[in-house]
Amino acid sequence: VILIAKVATGLVGAALVAGGIVSSQGFIHVRVESQQAAGPHVRLVLPAMAAPIALRFVPRPQLRESTEELRPWLPAIEAAASGLSDAASGPLVQVTEPGRQVTVAKDDGSLVVCVENPGQAVYVSVPLRTVRSAAAVVAERDGPN
Amino acid sequence: MKKILVIFAVLAMTAAAWAAPAERYLHVRVDDPAKQQSVHINLPLSVAAKMLPGIDHGSLHDGQIRVGSIDVNGVDVVQMLDALKGAPDGEYVSIQQRDRLVRVAKQNGLLIVHVEKRAGEDKKVDISVPWTVAAALVSSGKSHELNVEAAIQALENTGDKTEVSVTSNRQSVRIWVDSQSQVQ
Repeated sequence: VILIAKVATGLVGAALVAGGIVSSQGFIHVRVESQQAAGPHVRLVLPAMAAPIALRFVPRPQLRESTEELRPWLPAIEAAASGLSDAASGPLVQVTEPGRQVTVAKDDGSLVVCVENPGQAVYVSVPLRTVRSAAAVVAERDGPN
Repeated sequence: MKKILVIFAVLAMTAAAWAAPAERYLHVRVDDPAKQQSVHINLPLSVAAKMLPGIDHGSLHDGQIRVGSIDVNGVDVVQMLDALKGAPDGEYVSIQQRDRLVRVAKQNGLLIVHVEKRAGEDKKVDISVPWTVAAALVSSGKSHELNVEAAIQALENTGDKTEVSVTSNRQSVRIWVDSQSQVQ
């Protein structure tokens, strides 16, 4: 019984440590809400530390292809994410046009993008730290072989 | 003793908070009432200053922007700003024609530019920029290149005096700097 209790304590401890490590970088929230009853309603919460790790496993040619347009802006994205960490929360960009509203805002330590179309709203929140480390991974993997 | 330390700590923190300069924001507002479109941008100047050196795209590189020549009725604005650095206050360009009006002046530490075009589509440009910012813009010493990075650094130390507005029949653009993180 004592052995089982020790193993259980070890497992709980390991789970707590793993949980702590996973949540230390925050979470990526994705929400898709449809105003139609049959439309999609998606709610995803992903550990933010998984994003840069996942990027490391994307094959280099595919990564290069999909980040072609992003490449010249990577240093600016990294700098913006780093600079925004110290800035106050608030809207950064708001675009309004008939039937659509796009908002990019800083909310605590996260960058929040909200796109509202007729019948559907998409909300994505990414910790700024993750934006920075993801940009760094892309720049590093995208560089010369 | 403890009480004195606490009072000192509180005083030190208050002084630090008091002394810390408030973050300044660059605001851009574009409105197109006919298309019912609007774009609002609120960017902390410190973030813009950090981002700029990293951008190497199009005419923007190393915090400098290549502009070709900014020509207003045959007056090269970059060269004129450079020449006016040490000049006293006054009206330096004044062009009045039937279909256009141009005025460039240095007034109370501000560069004032007013351009009005009345032929075809009406267009009005009003620029009011602290002289230190205008001087920083042309500080690279190279013609046809504006030092945007230096101008942003200069903007961080100026009051709420910067305002650029371009208004036409269809669209209005307003750029200004203040300490508000969002437009009220």
